[in-house]
Amino acid sequence: MTDTPATVDATLRALLADILGLGEARAAALTEDSGLFGELPEFDSMAVATVLTEMEDRLGIIIDDDEIDGEIFETYGNLLAFSLRKVTD
Amino acid sequence: MGEHHLRIEPAGASRATILIVPPLFEEANRTRRTLVLAMRALAAQGFAAIMPDLPGQNESLVPLEHVDLAGWQAALAEVAADIDGPLLVASLRGGCLIDHQVKAAGWWRLAPVGGASLLRTLIRARVSADREAGVTSSLESLTETAQREPLLLAGNRLSPAMIAGLGSAEVQPIEPLRSVALGADGIAGTPLWLRAEPGEDAAMAEAIADDIASWSAICGIN
Repeated sequence: MTDTPATVDATLRALLADILGLGEARAAALTEDSGLFGELPEFDSMAVATVLTEMEDRLGIIIDDDEIDGEIFETYGNLLAFSLRKVTD
Repeated sequence: MGEHHLRIEPAGASRATILIVPPLFEEANRTRRTLVLAMRALAAQGFAAIMPDLPGQNESLVPLEHVDLAGWQAALAEVAADIDGPLLVASLRGGCLIDHQVKAAGWWRLAPVGGASLLRTLIRARVSADREAGVTSSLESLTETAQREPLLLAGNRLSPAMIAGLGSAEVQPIEPLRSVALGADGIAGTPLWLRAEPGEDAAMAEAIADDIASWSAICGIN
């Protein structure tokens, strides 16, 4: 993989913008501590599922069921850390 | 097939009919408004545009768990057979999995997707909802259950035949075909079919109509 942390970050922001309809400005303003699941009303179980499938497609990774726990979707920082771990695996 | 369909006519005689095959399941709701705007834009360019309800979707009286992909393919072929004059098929996403039994002068596909990817998302939504409800389920356990009985996935009760069909469905080659993606080389716009809440994109609807109109000329429609 040629993904750098910066491109993974950009890919992740873009897919959250697409799925949650955040718009570029809100997506760019996400910080490590920004809450996702439970905080953003758009982030329901269907959105979680869509995010996972799009992460697989756009980052070229495979995500197993048992890797997923609620914490991954708690904050943007957690989701980014998980993605970075997956692309370097 | 006795299902409702939405039909938008041009002011004068139509150059051809564009059969719109929408995305499947929730993705259809998320894109419907923009697709209808595209149908209006097509009508302004002299095309009739028709978007049928698939059996088991929208206003259909057929229970969803009684249908499968083969049934949808046949239903679309039936709709197409009743249309007079030249016909062009325009399909989006999962709609591209069911558009190849239609007899048409040409096909146009936007952002085609494999059935396995759609199914994976639907099953994941169920796993995620189960987790919230304190129930433990997994892709594997649900896939196994789906071999024996209908499964409720993100509000859709799908039959074992539908789930097996989706799991293996690939977009089928067909000619003449223009297959476009979102982006600079294709249609400028956002993937509304992924959106958690329905949106609309009028500029994208215009771009879709223009691209279909150009393609229709290449397919010999005047």
